[in-house]
Amino acid sequence: MKSREQEYKEIFIAEALEYFDALNRLISELEKKPQDDQVLAEIFRMLHNLKANAKAIGYLQISDVSHKLETAFGLIRNKELSFSDEVVGVLFDGIDLLGELIKSIDSEQQVEIDPVLIRNLDIIVDSLSDSTVELAKVQKFSTSRNLTLSDLIYIQVKKLDHLMNLVGELIIDRDRILSLSRELDNDELKMVSSHLYRITEDLQYSVMDARLVSIGTLFNKFPRVVRDISSAEKKEVNLELSGQDIQIDRNILQIMTDSLLHLVRNAITHGIEKPELRAKAGKPKAGSLQLSARSDRESVIITLTDDGKGIDVAKVKKAAVERHLVAADVADSLPDSEVYSFLFEPGFSLAKEVTEFSGRGVGLDVVKNAIDSIGGRIRIESEKGKGTSFILQLPTSIAVKGALLFEIDSIFYAIPLIHTDSVVALDKDELHEVGEVLVADIKGETVTVVYLDELLNMEESQMRLGDKTRLKGQVQNIIIVSYNNRKLGLIVDKLYRQQDIVVKPLSKPLDSIDLYGGVTLLGTGKVCLVLDVPAITKYFVNKR
Amino acid sequence: MKEKTNKKEGTDAAEATVSGPDKAAETALASAKEGQASPEAAKEEMIHLIVFKLGAEEYGIKIDQVKEVTVTPSVTRMPRTPDFIKGVANIRGDIIAIMNLEERFGIRSVPLANDVNPHITYTLVIEAKEYSIGVIVREVPQSLNLSMTKIDKTPSFLQDINIHENYIEGIAKVNNRLIIVLDMYKILTQDEIRELKSN
Amino acid sequence: MKRILIVDDSFYMRTMLKNMLTDAGYEIVGEAPNGQTALELAKETNPDLITLDVILPDNTGLDVLKGIKAEQPDMKIVIVSAVGQEVIVNEALENGALSYIVKPFSEEKVLEVVKKALEE
Repeated sequence: MKSREQEYKEIFIAEALEYFDALNRLISELEKKPQDDQVLAEIFRMLHNLKANAKAIGYLQISDVSHKLETAFGLIRNKELSFSDEVVGVLFDGIDLLGELIKSIDSEQQVEIDPVLIRNLDIIVDSLSDSTVELAKVQKFSTSRNLTLSDLIYIQVKKLDHLMNLVGELIIDRDRILSLSRELDNDELKMVSSHLYRITEDLQYSVMDARLVSIGTLFNKFPRVVRDISSAEKKEVNLELSGQDIQIDRNILQIMTDSLLHLVRNAITHGIEKPELRAKAGKPKAGSLQLSARSDRESVIITLTDDGKGIDVAKVKKAAVERHLVAADVADSLPDSEVYSFLFEPGFSLAKEVTEFSGRGVGLDVVKNAIDSIGGRIRIESEKGKGTSFILQLPTSIAVKGALLFEIDSIFYAIPLIHTDSVVALDKDELHEVGEVLVADIKGETVTVVYLDELLNMEESQMRLGDKTRLKGQVQNIIIVSYNNRKLGLIVDKLYRQQDIVVKPLSKPLDSIDLYGGVTLLGTGKVCLVLDVPAITKYFVNKR
Repeated sequence: MKEKTNKKEGTDAAEATVSGPDKAAETALASAKEGQASPEAAKEEMIHLIVFKLGAEEYGIKIDQVKEVTVTPSVTRMPRTPDFIKGVANIRGDIIAIMNLEERFGIRSVPLANDVNPHITYTLVIEAKEYSIGVIVREVPQSLNLSMTKIDKTPSFLQDINIHENYIEGIAKVNNRLIIVLDMYKILTQDEIRELKSN
Repeated sequence: MKRILIVDDSFYMRTMLKNMLTDAGYEIVGEAPNGQTALELAKETNPDLITLDVILPDNTGLDVLKGIKAEQPDMKIVIVSAVGQEVIVNEALENGALSYIVKPFSEEKVLEVVKKALEE
């Protein structure tokens, strides 16, 4: 795990080495034109920063030497010290020493500072233009001058994004070559393409790896946030963090930042009770909030759990009925998990009072949208009086994801695995026409099932989603997807393998069509449409 | 070539070149000669069009709006998009939308001439500012160079055409041919996207 | 959430300030490493407060201060400087800066100055 101290240290070294290189360049320039004010100002600025940064992080030797050099250059700038050969020599030595000190931060070896050099620096700084004092010859501490570059570089996320896109394109072409080599049945080509396969796979994981950051970079911001919100709410809250060293794509973490903040605020303002209420309920005075992360195959699971008052299912049902999201009689029979999904409806809120930290018109729907946008999932577990958990399942990386391939009406489709629960094959007789839809008993659970061909291809006015006669064949392949705590079975014509795909976003003007999360190119060169499970679910609910 | 020798003076005025196996070439050439007869033609601005047929009429798009012309590759249909969107196709690794302008503007399609292969269509790849889109046509598009003066900017007699007049840049009259010049950038504006969304 | 723009030519200093301020619940709307960017971002983001380093590569911090004040006279600006810059700091205060922080700074000091400046 990269602690903040470690991060500061790395940044300090990288920047200090940059200054060191620039100083060497500038002082050589200055030797040629000693009167150049701009060069002097630059040198002055860098030494100044180096001094301040070193002091802040606690490298006192560096700040000390920088200070002396800064003073010397200040004098030169004010024409109180002439830039003579002797002085130049001392200044070069001083800058070299700075370089040694900076490089020694990360090594075991202590740099021995030559007292003569320090004395020389003091002489030129203190004695001003009085050059009667002899500058002693400095023993060169580094006779063999090594050129070293920093081991650490800083790179714009934009560049990594570009790299990731290129890898995506490469993988698509690789798969095409792989499938061509099988078709052509040429051994040499097969060998080369399987080598190509391994290399691109390595490349893909290396680039994905370069984009990973530890979740701690976000989690570590929360102790302060929790302290501030709970003190404003006059509540006591103990925050427990775990899994800070779990790695996740930087852009995904960026997108999740606001959502997580929102959930934490909600948990404190609406979840955890005031101390006196907690005491009455026999709970410890201080509420507990747990924010944890763990890896699960290709996903990262972030869980936020409070031991507050929990969600009042009856209240949610009542509000949902009032908003006509569901009929009263249906609401009564809904399982809790489906009731919680209403909380993600736009504008749905149970909060009566608007506090400084929560309930400013931003609802959980915003959190849901953010998670949908990166292809993640969120669900709620809650027990009245005991507390609530929000469980977020996020992809580790954006560009490449596991998906299930299938075919409907001769068109290839893919659904990201993060949205699929299971795949079953059922006999037509196991599907039942209930109302306007089909349902099936899948592992003891009643699941609504929809024939995708009907949903996607039938003219809307003639769509009959509850009509079994529309099905082809006796055995039906069904992909069970889950969105917003609701399961939905999708009947497909042909089911293919599971495969890693690179999702390309649809270009304009098609990008406004929600039903598709993008497209991918199969090894055969065929275009495969990536279905967006949230949008398909919403479309189905509207058409039902 | 004959027209080359005709324009010794180095003027490229009003030259019309037509590619593709079409007898219109001769008529276009005739009009080119006609243009050269007037001396002020030398300063005339030229316009280069890609000409294609929608329904019974000829339409043109300025060549700088056309990225390439290709035989239509395999198009993957996208359910629940408007009818005039025929789907998406993989053109040199870019996946772009393919649309049918006849359906977009409600132009009645006419039976193909006997010498046209009904199984092959062509796609004009139009490059708009932020994206590309393919436009399907049934006959080989032609390239046509003509003088700007041949373009009537304010056509007033197009009442019976379904295309919104904003999309029409002008009408080119070359001999007996009448070519409706479309501004593809305007067709592919926000309106188009909104149209898609409402479907 | 109060919105803050950080102007400092050192990446290290910007990172430290950013961490301190975001931990305290402020939103960092931008980071400028030089005077030109500072002037642009000040206009573009219109923050509640700007922390301004007085020694910058292209302009001096003072020019930036005057430039921002000329366009946005009510902008709250806090000077960040090192010891030995008293003359510039004084001039900055005369030109409308609200307060100053001396490098190396402590988190408490930064938050105290920023909080006070925002309340003014």
